Amino acid sequence: MGIRVLPPDVANKIAAGEVVERPANVVKELVENALDAGATEIRVEVQRGGRRLIRVADNGCGIPADQVALAFEHHATSKVRTAQDLFSVHTLGFRGEALPSIAAVSRVTMLTRPREQAVGTEIRLAGGEVVSTRPAAAPAGTVVTVEDLFFNTPARRKFLRTVATEMGLIAEIVSHYALAYPERRFTLVGDGRTLFQTPGTGELRDALLAVYGLDVVRHMLTLDASLDPQSGIRVHGAIGGPALHRANRKYLIFFVNGRVVRSPMLTAAVEQAYQGVVPTGRHPFAVLKVEMPPDQLDVNVHPQKLEVRFARGDEVFRAVQRAVRRLLVEEAPVHRYTRPVEVVDRPLEEAGSPPPLWPEKPRPGGEARLPGAMSGSPAPSSHRPELPGADVGGTKLPPLRVLGQMMTTYIVCEGPDGLYLVDQHTAHERVLLERLRRQRERQAVPAQRLLQPLTVELTPQQLAVVDEQHDVLRRLGFEVEPFGGLTVVVRTLPEVLKDHPDPAAALAEVLDGAIHDRRGLSWEERLTVYAACRGAVKAGDPLTHEEMVELIRQLEQTDLSRTCAHGRPTVVKLSQAQLEREFGRR
Amino acid sequence: MRISCLQENLARGLSMVSRAVATRSTLPVLGNVYVGTDGGRLKLMATNLEIGLSCWVGARVEEEGAITVPARLFEELVKQSPPERIELEVDTRTETLHYRCGSLSASIKGIGASEFPIMPAADEAEGVRVRVDGDVMAEVVEQVVFAAATDETRPVLTGVLVEFEEDRMTLAAADGFRLSVRSARLEGAVEAPLRVIVPARAMGELGRIVKQVGGEILVILTPNRNQVLFHMAEVDLVSQLIEGTFPDYRLIIPKSFETRVVVDTARFLETVRRALIFARDAANIVRLQVGNAGGPAETHEQAARLVVRAEASETGSGEEAIPAAVEGAPLEIAFNGRYLMDVLSVVGSPQVALELTTPSSPGVFRPVGTETEFTHVVMPMHLGGR
Repeated sequence: MGIRVLPPDVANKIAAGEVVERPANVVKELVENALDAGATEIRVEVQRGGRRLIRVADNGCGIPADQVALAFEHHATSKVRTAQDLFSVHTLGFRGEALPSIAAVSRVTMLTRPREQAVGTEIRLAGGEVVSTRPAAAPAGTVVTVEDLFFNTPARRKFLRTVATEMGLIAEIVSHYALAYPERRFTLVGDGRTLFQTPGTGELRDALLAVYGLDVVRHMLTLDASLDPQSGIRVHGAIGGPALHRANRKYLIFFVNGRVVRSPMLTAAVEQAYQGVVPTGRHPFAVLKVEMPPDQLDVNVHPQKLEVRFARGDEVFRAVQRAVRRLLVEEAPVHRYTRPVEVVDRPLEEAGSPPPLWPEKPRPGGEARLPGAMSGSPAPSSHRPELPGADVGGTKLPPLRVLGQMMTTYIVCEGPDGLYLVDQHTAHERVLLERLRRQRERQAVPAQRLLQPLTVELTPQQLAVVDEQHDVLRRLGFEVEPFGGLTVVVRTLPEVLKDHPDPAAALAEVLDGAIHDRRGLSWEERLTVYAACRGAVKAGDPLTHEEMVELIRQLEQTDLSRTCAHGRPTVVKLSQAQLEREFGRR
Repeated sequence: MRISCLQENLARGLSMVSRAVATRSTLPVLGNVYVGTDGGRLKLMATNLEIGLSCWVGARVEEEGAITVPARLFEELVKQSPPERIELEVDTRTETLHYRCGSLSASIKGIGASEFPIMPAADEAEGVRVRVDGDVMAEVVEQVVFAAATDETRPVLTGVLVEFEEDRMTLAAADGFRLSVRSARLEGAVEAPLRVIVPARAMGELGRIVKQVGGEILVILTPNRNQVLFHMAEVDLVSQLIEGTFPDYRLIIPKSFETRVVVDTARFLETVRRALIFARDAANIVRLQVGNAGGPAETHEQAARLVVRAEASETGSGEEAIPAAVEGAPLEIAFNGRYLMDVLSVVGSPQVALELTTPSSPGVFRPVGTETEFTHVVMPMHLGGR
């Protein structure tokens, strides 16, 4: 078979694949276009996680009738004219890829009218081919409707995750832009329900309030760093106080020159600033805007423009780290967590692969490879203590005698061959998890009905999971029904969560845990894991001797080789030999 | 101050007020007990600012005065003193209490009485006054207070709703899963209905005290309504009120039922206690089978019984049938055995009725054969996916 040039429709589909991987990418491209068009009101409407319909309506500048068809040509853009312009891009889009790529894999309708023209234009495309173009009545601005995404690329369609997952990703993208542009009004509507609406006041706090709610905003500190005259870098935004932290890095959000980016380097800078402020294993909450001269930045690195390359990465790293640290020290009493003790036996390891320490792997060619960036961005794993290896052997615990509780967190036990320290939370979580799994297999998870149903307000993502995983939640003992808007009614709770101090919050916490768990487990498994986690005693809960004995008894019967919710060790041993060495008896 | 009193009386008074002493307070004076003269008697007071207790002890007063001394230490000292006359004398200059009992003498460093929080007194307090029989109050409190919530996320549920309307008093308490309501008649009628939420802890203390001192209770609700005072023969209890709206318990109590089963209370309680041996490892689930659920009763005997069953997948299972008078359709339902124990322990009548509708609707317990107006609602448990 000889080499030949691909026919245009095949080439287009391949190109589309780079930009449009999933519905969230479409939303991103369309929102960026709306922003570039100077819109002050952007409304995003999604049905069935974007598979059925994505509609982005704006009140921006619109496209004149004679240029409408051109917008769907490859490399057609109003944003860049010469190669020189690429190095000083001020707009979000510039490559002229987005619209043709989207059009190639869906049915697109665009209705647009520039403010100064009386009549607008409606253009319809299917699979990249123009179906019709006609003058039409239209509001000023542009409305792009994308239907039947991937109708002509079944393979891609097959790889879409559940509606809840796709909806979650879309909500994430739109909320990020809403935070990046608080002066514009964003509305996100999912399956006919308004998920959030930012007021467009220009205040970041107002946008944060609309997206994350009062509980988060209460703990946020406003960062108002001034321009650094030497580097020309300005860092501002809002960061969480010491009380606000999360189990993953999803809430470290960065905007570089108004563009939402993923950046391991910026993440490392913030985490370094937070060292000792949030507990080990937890991650800070921060929404940071970094502004710098456009010539210091290469945004044309990643097909979806999710990554950027900094010309002087170390300066950026320092500017961010310093600005965050300064505010933390000023605003909050920083209390340092000491490094873990040295004399630690190897914890009983997980048989399954441990969760990645660094979920967002730096891609080849990403900025983390730049020498400048490397010098300022230590590998995050270096914050973790290296635990010396020694074998405990077996996956079950030997019989232990409880000596007492330490720091209301660890249960201190004597075993046949040394001293055992048991993390009370993870231990209880393991016990509950095994019990829940067994009960689930027998369809017999005990649930307790509530005297009065509780109403809980959820985030759009959480609500999407409730909608979609309704049966799974029910099998776990959560009887939850929608109650209009983002509110749901909880009628029963899993028995393990009965004594949770705030049963309503427990549901949200379980959903959140499951949403952000990236270990590729099924929804059912993830929800089970986090129900066990939330039902378990916490670090800091005082336990009576009887409670500790009972917990250890149950833990002894548990198979420790199965994965636990956090992949953290449950039991740490100080062997007799080690003790003897430490005390110079050997 | 210079007084003398009997060791026995002082020890009793201190044990009465010591429950209100603050255990971990940043205000040192709250860890102290107030000891002072009050019109020919000795007055003891303690408060943690949520509740306050005052107690009067018969004494011979030779010189008026007052002081506060560390509560634990003082109580311990008095308790272990010989049963003789105790003499107390305050040195105001050094703020020291000199103590003499038989051959024992001691001096205790205190804090000036002026630093002790002011507590309202019954004879000066203004507000609505209601008289309640002490024995009735003790019984009502016992049947209600255990159902209050212990965690603080919904503050109103950590309290007991106390309602007075015409000649009736009603107490209600609920956590997320059960509700206890008890009404009783008053001797006189109140002019206007009154509704306050009193912390469950304060009601618990009231129940404990009224059992000891008996007599009549004068309830005084202060005009601005943020405090309630319970005045008894020799003890006063003052409590802060909880602000908020208590859920309307009338809406929670089911109006009708499909199945009603009447059993011997003590027998039922024993049976549940035994079932809990197995239920302990299975979320305390105790299943009740009323009549022959799953089919028509083969015999009259099958229909007229309540089967109590518990199983733990690892441990095993047990069941026990008790004779019952069953009215309505057979039914199977599951409850937390602890909740059953709680209500059966206080229901107070030889027989108890359980009213049921479906396996997922509330169960209602009522006493049988007495005039007592007691209703207890428990939400059932069920196994997910079934």
